[in-house]
Amino acid sequence: MTISDKDFEVLRDFIYNHCGIYFHTSKKYFLESRITRRIEATNSPNLMTYMGLLKSGPGKSDELLKLLDEITTNETCFFRNPPQLKALENVFLPEIVAAKGKIGFRKLRIWSAGSSSGEEAYTMAMILLEKRATILKDWIIEIVGTDISETVLAQAREGVYSAYSVRNTPDYYKKKYFRQEPGERYVLSPDVKKLVSFNHLNLYEDAKMVFMKSFDFIFCANVLIYFDLASKTKVVQHYYNNLQPYGYFFVGQSESLHGVNDKFKTVHFPGGFAYKK
Amino acid sequence: MEQLSKMEKAAALIRGMTDLPTIPAVATQVLSLLDQPDVEIDQVAELLLTDQVMAARVLKMVNSPLYRPATVITSLKGALVYLGLRHIREFILTCSFIQSFEGKEGVLGVKPFWEHSFGVGIVARLIAAKVGYHDTEKAYIGGLIHDIGEVFLSYYLKDEFQKVVDAIRENPVQLVEAEERILGTTHCEVGLCLAREWHFPEDYCEIVSCHHAPREAKNAPRLTAIVNLADLFCTVRNLDYGGKEWTSFSLADEPAWAMVQEQGKKLAEFDVERFCYELDDQVEEIRELVTNIFKDR
Repeated sequence: MTISDKDFEVLRDFIYNHCGIYFHTSKKYFLESRITRRIEATNSPNLMTYMGLLKSGPGKSDELLKLLDEITTNETCFFRNPPQLKALENVFLPEIVAAKGKIGFRKLRIWSAGSSSGEEAYTMAMILLEKRATILKDWIIEIVGTDISETVLAQAREGVYSAYSVRNTPDYYKKKYFRQEPGERYVLSPDVKKLVSFNHLNLYEDAKMVFMKSFDFIFCANVLIYFDLASKTKVVQHYYNNLQPYGYFFVGQSESLHGVNDKFKTVHFPGGFAYKK
Repeated sequence: MEQLSKMEKAAALIRGMTDLPTIPAVATQVLSLLDQPDVEIDQVAELLLTDQVMAARVLKMVNSPLYRPATVITSLKGALVYLGLRHIREFILTCSFIQSFEGKEGVLGVKPFWEHSFGVGIVARLIAAKVGYHDTEKAYIGGLIHDIGEVFLSYYLKDEFQKVVDAIRENPVQLVEAEERILGTTHCEVGLCLAREWHFPEDYCEIVSCHHAPREAKNAPRLTAIVNLADLFCTVRNLDYGGKEWTSFSLADEPAWAMVQEQGKKLAEFDVERFCYELDDQVEEIRELVTNIFKDR
């Protein structure tokens, strides 16, 4: 099925307004093919009827959640968001390290919320290990990955990955921090693994969220898009409280928190932006 | 004092060059013709045809994705009718500006330079419309020409300018800061000298010289602030001289952000995240436009 440019815009607005994820025009073809699957699965005669299903009921409809599953590729990978990593490595990290170093507080805490199988948390670990000889000499580094699914947490703790997971990983890191085994298996080095701990956490559980304290950086990519505005607001407020003063909060590549929390400051850098406390 | 010495340094650089680019004579003539009341499109077309290079450039530009005619326009008059008298001015300026720097391949590269310049022009026009600035065309032209000093540095001062670009790669600071440190002057002062040399109207001179310090603008502060913001947005959304530029900013801390908002009318609802993503959608179009303009080279 082909979607007209006008319908694409209607759909894009709807998804943006309800989920906070923007579909770039270059992804029109992708959106078209994925939505066609859902239109067929729901036996909808046309896009109009299907849009009715998406809009049914209060909050996020079941169909919207199903559509989200189709249009967000669930699998993650190492070094997924290079502009974000570059800004963090070159600017935000040195800035925080300098500020904390000045008061003699040599400890860095990072949280990957919705860590899935651990790629994001381990990517951070590798980047920080590279700074061990310089700005992070003698620093304590704690990286925490949390997820609601025990299955992905077990994978994360195991630390064995497919070639697909390391497709974006620069050769330098691949050689230094992975051992390649037959069958295209990439086994993560223990040096990286020991910097990260993985725990079960439901982001809706306020009682547990308040204990996630004193982070310098929080990552939460492609998780909040599934939440309705009220839950999103609550979780983001937790993140705000859980950050150290001047800490940074990062979302996924096409995500937006516009209108969710007005305390954070949006800091732009080449290829992306972060939310700063 | 410091400002003065940067200015003196820039003036000395410009004075030292014997082969400075010039704006085509026909462009100046067309611009003054357009200032006359009751000017006819035929007159403009006739005058433009006296410069064949310019006439060809106009046809190529009007058929580019930026202007999107439904069918290919093959006559100069057709192009002018399509654009409408109101937009001929910006169009001619764009064409002549491109012509002046034809073949000036410098450290920044011709394509990345034009991608950034068109980007800032287009984004300045968008911001102008968003904040209710009356003359969106002026914002576009201002954006297009804001970095003329950069072409000069990148082409005439290749070795020194390469050092500036290298410095940013190793330590992310703004281009303008690295220039000041390494060259003792910046593209703002150099651009101002060039703009005066070309007899640009005062508002445009001010954009060229104050687009990194909009508070210093006296004649057209709001316009300069619009171009400043457009420049910042382009630098963070992939129209950054092919990754050679660096900036990081937060709108709330930018003086320009307060300056562009009309008194008493806040743009609190401005969805900056979405604005960024929408700009990404334009990047491809801008690249395509620039590719088209330089296709035959």
